[in-house]
Amino acid sequence: MLAEVVLAALILLVTFAFIVTRRLRAALAAYAVQSWLLGGVALALFADSRVLGLLLFGLLTIAVKGALVPQLLRRRTASALAGGRETSYYVRFPTALLLGAALTLTGFIAATRIPYAPQLLPESVLGIALAVLLLGLFTTTARRDAVLQVAGLLAAENGLLLVGLVLAPRLSLLIEFAIVLDVLIAVLVMGFLVARIHEEVSSTDTSELTRLRG
Amino acid sequence: MIDSGLLFGLLLLPLLTAAASALVAHDRTRYAMVLPSSLLTCALALTLIARLLSSGPLRAFGDWLYLDDLSAIVLLVVMLVSALAGAYSVAYFRSPAQGHALKPGELRKYFSLFHLFTFTMVLASVSGNLALLWTAVTATTFASAPLVDFYGSREPLEAAWKFLILAVAGELIALLGFLLLYASGIAALGDAYNFAIPVLGQAGAHLSPSLAGLGFLLVLVGFGTKAGLAPMHTWLPDAHSQAPAPVCAMLSGAELNCAMLAIVRVLSLATPAAGRQSGQLHAALLGFGLLSMAVGVLFLISQRDFKRLLAYSSVEQMGLIAAGFGIGAPLAVLGALLQMLTHSLAKALMFFNSGNLLLRFRTTTISEVRAAIRVAPATALLVILGALAIAGAPPFGLFVSEFSIVRGALGEPNWGAGALVAFLLLVGFIALVAPFGRMTFGDGEGRTAPPRAELGLPVLAPGALLLAAVLVLGFWVPAPLHSLLVGASHVVSR
Repeated sequence: MLAEVVLAALILLVTFAFIVTRRLRAALAAYAVQSWLLGGVALALFADSRVLGLLLFGLLTIAVKGALVPQLLRRRTASALAGGRETSYYVRFPTALLLGAALTLTGFIAATRIPYAPQLLPESVLGIALAVLLLGLFTTTARRDAVLQVAGLLAAENGLLLVGLVLAPRLSLLIEFAIVLDVLIAVLVMGFLVARIHEEVSSTDTSELTRLRG
Repeated sequence: MIDSGLLFGLLLLPLLTAAASALVAHDRTRYAMVLPSSLLTCALALTLIARLLSSGPLRAFGDWLYLDDLSAIVLLVVMLVSALAGAYSVAYFRSPAQGHALKPGELRKYFSLFHLFTFTMVLASVSGNLALLWTAVTATTFASAPLVDFYGSREPLEAAWKFLILAVAGELIALLGFLLLYASGIAALGDAYNFAIPVLGQAGAHLSPSLAGLGFLLVLVGFGTKAGLAPMHTWLPDAHSQAPAPVCAMLSGAELNCAMLAIVRVLSLATPAAGRQSGQLHAALLGFGLLSMAVGVLFLISQRDFKRLLAYSSVEQMGLIAAGFGIGAPLAVLGALLQMLTHSLAKALMFFNSGNLLLRFRTTTISEVRAAIRVAPATALLVILGALAIAGAPPFGLFVSEFSIVRGALGEPNWGAGALVAFLLLVGFIALVAPFGRMTFGDGEGRTAPPRAELGLPVLAPGALLLAAVLVLGFWVPAPLHSLLVGASHVVSR
């Protein structure tokens, strides 16, 4: 049980990287590490419970989201990543840090209010999972850069899968399939649109896209 | 057995057409495939609905696929709108008045995505497993976002990106809701049960009320984003105005209903367990509905662009549908279900009209279109009659469904909601009809109107068919449709 909790705590730690990093490459690397850790949680859980679905879950997460997706994203957004451009927030950086901390706290408080029947993982992991979900969604909404917005959504999906491991471990494999499909299509479609944004405004800064009003 | 085959065929057909559209060499072949494919899919859908009416809900492939009265209404909407939007697409891109110079490969992309989009919506309406339902609704976003960016300039791109990011964020929140819904059944059904609609439906009151209720609220917020409910609607006016006209018809007429179906489905599963608390779930739906109506109407008033006008009308209409389900009285629920159908038909008609106006006047600015009745009488007649229909004037179908919702609220009695809905509908009526009236009959003084010329029959026919359907529904709801609506209302408010 300890292994799972430690790995989950590391997931949260890595997720903070999405909040503080100024470089796109770092965010993509953080996503890969986050996926390995999530796969690790599932594998450790499989070792404890012998639920076969969790083994598949872990392997799939590590292979697809830990290796394939970051690679695809790197290739599809190569033009945006070139030059190692720094990215910024819609809000000021200290405000972003404060909001990130507040959202983490919200995740942990929300976890104590959900009256679920404990399965394989303790409640503290649910708090971590909800915090990761919220931090991912925050990255998506507060960052100006299209690639980071995508990375935020992917991070949030990993948070959701962790929620799934806590609430319904035996449903997790099905949700994993849904998410893997979702992620692969998302990378395809979003990669295409990121390239289009790059060609339209010669950067991936979405704050340049503000013509539609009212 | 037969049902499984039919359902499989229903899903396979649009998928195969999408693949074929991507593979064939000539645009002529691509055009030729559209009508046969959609007619065949419609025939399959109608056969399935007939079997549903004679022998009850269809369950197939271990409840992965499921068709009951509620899903049948959305299936019907999806089939009708996508068949006519397909026909209109062909006419639109072939029209000599079409101003956009098509680049090679653009139609290949358009039609493969178009059929893929239809496939994802059909899948959303016949999903029996709730994880599959989530996946299908999510897939509609991915199939449609690149279609929004079809014209490939900065504004459509901005709209597509905003749509994609917000819709996916909403979908993740909805998935959290689905996870809680699954957790709500673990105590009664064990930790490894089949996460399917009929299974949860049978468990009914044995689900954990607080988990199921919380699950519903998250699905409401998450898929509410995709259904265009305020205050999460901000992407909708952009996406639904920047896409090509036939795609707008699909987005507003069909896709929104898929998200609404998922919301109402989860409501129907969570209500029996919630018992006395179910009032709170309905109140949340009603609240989002009324807010959406208010926001939609407010932005209708100040619109300068007629496609954005129609997009905000969708926000108002989805709000009305949510409010109808939220009021919860049988008559209001029946009205909301009929509204899903009538609004979709009328909104598809109006987006076809917007395409026709664009073909004829080369603008989407309201003040630049004047005296359409003299420039192109048949086109203009469709525009003004369609505007009356979408605004809910009698004798069109929307009047009947809107009247039922208001009557249902007043009979509940929920005087406040009933009065507010009626008031917003009235303001919305004026805000919608007035601009289209000016565009049709206003004198074009000081402007050089385009020379008088009518658009061809292929471009006008899909809209004319929709107008006829909306008109007929105002007088007469066919018996099979009536029994579907009543059956669906029993599913929603068990």
